Amino acid sequence: MEKTLNLTLKIWRQKNATSPGKIVEYKVSDISTEMSFLEMLDVLNEDLTKKGEEPVEFDSDCREGICGTCGVVINGIPHGGYKATTVCQLHMRHFKNGETIVIEPWRARAFPIVKDLVVDRSAFDRIMASGGYISIKTGSAPDANAIPVPKENADIAMDMAACIGCGACVAACPNASASLFVGAKISQLSLLPQGKVEAARRAENMVAQMDKEIFGACTNIQECEAVCPKEISISAIARMRREYVKAAIK
Amino acid sequence: MQFTQVFGSTIGKKLLLGVTGLSWAGFAIGHLVGNLQLLYTDPTPFNKYAHFLTSLGGLLYFVESVLVLSLLLHFLYAIKVTLENKKARPDKYEVHRSAKGVSKRGFSTASMIYTGLLLFIFLIIHINNFKYGTFYTTMIDGKEVRDLYKTVYEYYSNPVNVFYYVAMMILLGTHLSHGFWSAFQSLGINGKRFTPFIYSAGTVVAVLLAVGFVFIPVYIYYMGGV
Amino acid sequence: MKLDSKIPAGPLAEKWDKHKASIKLVNPNNKRKYTILVVGTGLAGASAAASLAELGYNVKTFCIQDSARRAHSIAAQGGINAAKNYPNDNDSIWRLFYDTIKGGDYRSREANVYRLAQVANNIIDQATAQGVPFAREYGGNLANRSFGGAQVSRTFYARGQTGQQLLLGAYSSLMRQVNSGMVEIFTRREMLDLVVENGKARGIIVRNLKTGAIERYAGHAVVLATGGYGTVFYLSTNAVNSNATAAWRSHKRGALYGNPSFTQIHPTCIPVSGDHQSKLTLMSESLRNDGRVWVSKKQGDKRKAADIPESERDYYLERKYPSFGNLVPRDVASRNAKEVCDEGRGAGETGLAVYLDFADSIKYFGENVIRERYGNLFDMYEKITGENPYKVPMRIYPAVHYTMGGLWVDYNLMSTIPGLYVAGEANFSDHGANRLGASALMQGLADGYFVLPFTIGDYLAGEKADELKTDGDSFNEAHSKVQTLNDKLLKLNGKKTVREYHRDLGKIMWDNVGMARSESGLKKAIEEIPKLREEFWQNVNVPGSSDNLNKSLEMAGRVADLFELGELMARDALQRSESCGGHFREESQTEEGEAKRDDENFSFVAAWEFKGENKTAEMHKEDLVFENVKLTQRSYK
Repeated sequence: MEKTLNLTLKIWRQKNATSPGKIVEYKVSDISTEMSFLEMLDVLNEDLTKKGEEPVEFDSDCREGICGTCGVVINGIPHGGYKATTVCQLHMRHFKNGETIVIEPWRARAFPIVKDLVVDRSAFDRIMASGGYISIKTGSAPDANAIPVPKENADIAMDMAACIGCGACVAACPNASASLFVGAKISQLSLLPQGKVEAARRAENMVAQMDKEIFGACTNIQECEAVCPKEISISAIARMRREYVKAAIK
Repeated sequence: MQFTQVFGSTIGKKLLLGVTGLSWAGFAIGHLVGNLQLLYTDPTPFNKYAHFLTSLGGLLYFVESVLVLSLLLHFLYAIKVTLENKKARPDKYEVHRSAKGVSKRGFSTASMIYTGLLLFIFLIIHINNFKYGTFYTTMIDGKEVRDLYKTVYEYYSNPVNVFYYVAMMILLGTHLSHGFWSAFQSLGINGKRFTPFIYSAGTVVAVLLAVGFVFIPVYIYYMGGV
Repeated sequence: MKLDSKIPAGPLAEKWDKHKASIKLVNPNNKRKYTILVVGTGLAGASAAASLAELGYNVKTFCIQDSARRAHSIAAQGGINAAKNYPNDNDSIWRLFYDTIKGGDYRSREANVYRLAQVANNIIDQATAQGVPFAREYGGNLANRSFGGAQVSRTFYARGQTGQQLLLGAYSSLMRQVNSGMVEIFTRREMLDLVVENGKARGIIVRNLKTGAIERYAGHAVVLATGGYGTVFYLSTNAVNSNATAAWRSHKRGALYGNPSFTQIHPTCIPVSGDHQSKLTLMSESLRNDGRVWVSKKQGDKRKAADIPESERDYYLERKYPSFGNLVPRDVASRNAKEVCDEGRGAGETGLAVYLDFADSIKYFGENVIRERYGNLFDMYEKITGENPYKVPMRIYPAVHYTMGGLWVDYNLMSTIPGLYVAGEANFSDHGANRLGASALMQGLADGYFVLPFTIGDYLAGEKADELKTDGDSFNEAHSKVQTLNDKLLKLNGKKTVREYHRDLGKIMWDNVGMARSESGLKKAIEEIPKLREEFWQNVNVPGSSDNLNKSLEMAGRVADLFELGELMARDALQRSESCGGHFREESQTEEGEAKRDDENFSFVAAWEFKGENKTAEMHKEDLVFENVKLTQRSYK
């Protein structure tokens, strides 16, 4: 395997939410296969800065796959399409010398572009504010072991809670649906006895907010699960629907 | 929750699509089983069966209205959901590919609205061809009843009609190969063992229905003249 | 300046309760007349903001990320300590207190640490009630595991994602308050200055990172929960946007900086692979339970691990510390790794790594057992390095992980500026010279849920709920200062990028103020850093403009502050000529080469006062008084 790569990058450049964007081609050379994808973009940005051009803006923070900040569409697939991998953990050894890589931002009406590859995901925050919590005041909690939780439920709740809120599910979905994100939170909380109390209100309000943000409807294609860096199952979406039906007939 | 809120939501709409879709899938299975009687060289069993159905009276009207209502809802909501989903991504990707793996993205999922619309048109023509088609009569047990068998055989003696039917039934299979399991998922019916089962079952149903419905006209075309 | 830690009188175990009973309260109807600004939405910030809003205060929160849920608390893996004693292994608040203060090498306050141990149990209750999916046993009760530095099982965990789950719990409480209108949340905002009016913290100046606008916000109190400053080393396990700017600029407004040299270097990180490296990834310390650490006995040995015969391997931790072996504490493990690499015996191409070998454990337990225990860590390692650790030994190297130092606060978590509170990693308070595993989450949440909501009330009860204005002289001055600084950075148009300067600073820090520090090295750093800083201010190239998203500009401001902080760290490390916790002075070691503490001369907190640009900071001492624990020297032989 080659130790370094020369690549052609086709990157979406857009000044802000309102101005039109376009694909711009760049070349990078001597990219070490040990680099992460974002480190490769760092190298490009260093080059651009030295040439007096504006660097390509992209979001990233923890660079270890847990904060959910980073995310770009690589050759048509959010996070690049490697199993359980965010783009910050995707390494260049997966690419070939001379390859052309198309890099685009998440695209969804609910995720307007801020600049270049950076998008505004505050719609997720508003969905969370509409009901993604258990209403418990600080200091009023009973002893942690007062309410036993079956291990099986706790384990599934944890699977669901693993969501990092990156938005790849929306980006991948042909309908730009946020159902996996919302379903995961509704599922986590409805699986725990502490969260059952307000399960109906939560399902109603979170779904209403999700629709208000103009995410699409889930048509069960399962592309979201395929790109989810935490491999969250679409059983989350089914559970959300059950909770919603329960709320509807209440 | 208000009725309008439930069925105005993305979940409610898919719920409706699921229920109405399943009712038609159920009907299609029954329809195929009944129509297998067309394979007899003796027209009587089929005509008897057709007569039995038309003589059900109130029950028939009830079932028919449910099916018509289902069809209309399925049609209207599918269009609504598709248009809304298009709006959710106004700016298209330069490149958008499937990550494969567990994804079911493919021809069947991408073509649901198109296969659906063609099947809708097909249904109208189909009903017009047969239910309101040429009215022959025949005598069974001393009573004069409609000879629908003859209408069908006449229709399928034309190779154009056969070809059209075969094409349409392949579309039906395509539609169902995603639609069948998807309906259960839309209704929230999902489980570790159930979901893989119903997904496979969906494929089986789609293939059997398509093959079954293709077989009848082809059979009639080749054997009908005998 | 006389530092008053405001530690309440009375027996250790009663201090907090007595204090709570005696501090002032704000009438429920009056609470809504006060506004509190909370900067940072990690564990400490989010929990404080949510709890204060629940009480009825108006809260405004600010974070640099695009969502409050992304703060770097999210990356904590291992767990959170609490003395619940669910496993019935004779744990108690006292033991948790004792382990924490001993682990900190007796450089923290007894009273603070005891309070931390006391409220830890409430955190577990709170998080469970929020729906945090902690690991459970089949009976439905919470599971515990053991963690470094303790002889009991007191660590609660949610797989390897405990920080994420606790943060999402706090974030969910925060979002509930956003929904109720009590919290207004400002994302993509970076605090660039503190506004002090009449000697009190009254507001902040922030840059809207999306639009570039400089914005002013006023409050009756300000809480900083902005995390640590590990990025001063350029490479660390911190997030790439983690920074010290809010804390540092508050320091320049009068808040003293406590023990800035106290940093923790974590021994089990994935090594640097080249200059392009932007951050280091930590792997749970638990790996040392089954892995054996070794390097070649020969210098410059470029053979593959498999080609080095058993007789030519040096299992140096087992050789030097027969009783603890591979399980020596973080600082000891880190220092020894550096030592063997400095000797030229490091592994791999860079020579900056040691092997962590699971071959023996795989042989003994079978690959399945090892996969069950560490499968996710092995996967992560393979993802990053492309090597399969089931087949070849892992390569690990220490990395900067946590900063125990921070803004100096009293028992109420108030800094030396009245009305400015500091919580979580941003303050210096509870971990002394070394933090034990699973304690960072505990401290952040203790500060936010169970300390600040009371102590801020005590302060506000004595403050008038006057109308807040953002057009006073102090606001104008701070605003124009921020503007001028950003304009200056953009105009320099130099030759080197911000990243290059950051990397250079990191190298000075790592080489001289890193794992082992010496007088000569520290003096060198104190000489080199200002030179580099001067060059930075002449020759840095910050592209783009200030009227939209510009990460280069953000980074430039942060790096400018890190230069100053780095220099202060070196000064602090230089004055502390003892070795303690994560701070190892080569001059202060035992004959066997172990850290030697000097309680007689250094049993104090060093709190540094800013004396003006380009002036040397002044050190103040807060003496540490130990009435309840006996100071002992650590030994792991």
